[in-house]
Amino acid sequence: MTGRDDRRRDYLALAISLAIGVLFTYAGADKLRDPLQFADSIAAFAMLPAVSINLLALGLPPFEIACGLLMLAPRTRRVGALALALTAMVFFSALVSALARGLTLDCGCFGVGAPSRPRMWLESGLNIALLAGSLMVYLRSTPLPRPQARPAEA
Amino acid sequence: MSSPASTPRLDPDRPPEGNNLRRQVVRDLGLVALLAIASLAAGLVINHYSSQPLPLVYRTPEQRFDAELTTLVAAPPFKIAPAATVGLPEFRATVDGKRALVLDARPSLFFEQGHVPGAFNLSRQDFARDYRRLSPTLKAAVDRPIVVYCSGGDCHDSHLVANALLTLGFSNVSIFTGGWEVWSAAGLPAATGSAP
Repeated sequence: MTGRDDRRRDYLALAISLAIGVLFTYAGADKLRDPLQFADSIAAFAMLPAVSINLLALGLPPFEIACGLLMLAPRTRRVGALALALTAMVFFSALVSALARGLTLDCGCFGVGAPSRPRMWLESGLNIALLAGSLMVYLRSTPLPRPQARPAEA
Repeated sequence: MSSPASTPRLDPDRPPEGNNLRRQVVRDLGLVALLAIASLAAGLVINHYSSQPLPLVYRTPEQRFDAELTTLVAAPPFKIAPAATVGLPEFRATVDGKRALVLDARPSLFFEQGHVPGAFNLSRQDFARDYRRLSPTLKAAVDRPIVVYCSGGDCHDSHLVANALLTLGFSNVSIFTGGWEVWSAAGLPAATGSAP
């Protein structure tokens, strides 16, 4: 891997982290406007007991906003990326489980919409992309051992 | 002066290896957990100062609807036979012939984006408020046929609103189960905005 490739990947990770940061900040702010609607969306998954639904509906929007903002600053990006990777993984698992159980619902992930299975598939795909993007940002922000470049052979 | 081999490197950019990397991931997971706790606390504080705070334990739309209905009628709701259902041909003939009062049980946001021409918005979400607003129209239709619809598919807002109307004394209430989904998929006329 050359230094040029490395730099290109750093720029790509920066662009991805800014895009994901803005997306989650927006998604969190949107959920914060109508927590009741979001609680109904969570309940539609039929996975959680009633005592935890409203707590999740109240806690997740500030969490998404905080993670989105953490993604925007270089020093905090690593923690934000890990948190969003876990969040995307949870959303994806919940959506796939609902699809497997034959449910048609509005996941409430990125704004309110009519319940629709094609949209659920689309949002599952989006969550996979967000998971991949967040993991890439996390790994780029974590100083991993990298192989040394071999000296050019004579 | 010690030799380079015996001096530990204190370079912050030095890649952590093995246990160090694992420790860093565990530390990051700990920070994520702290962030989750802080977010929950922030959410509870925001909810406390909200104009319409959520109760800590979730109540289903049916439970909330029951509670709202008791502000309109003293009798316990839903101790009645469920409303009849109609298909698209029958519903279309009713709409075309203006033979019934048509009610849209979806939230106002969706009603404004598109609804069956001539339908009034009696949403499940804001039932008591909409019921009071439409009171003159509804009272004039107490003995007329009423057809309620919602999004279609698995939506049950139309069932809740129809049963509430039966509880409130309306005798001829039925449900168009295909809802807006079937109506719009058939390419039938649509109206937009808050007016019928």
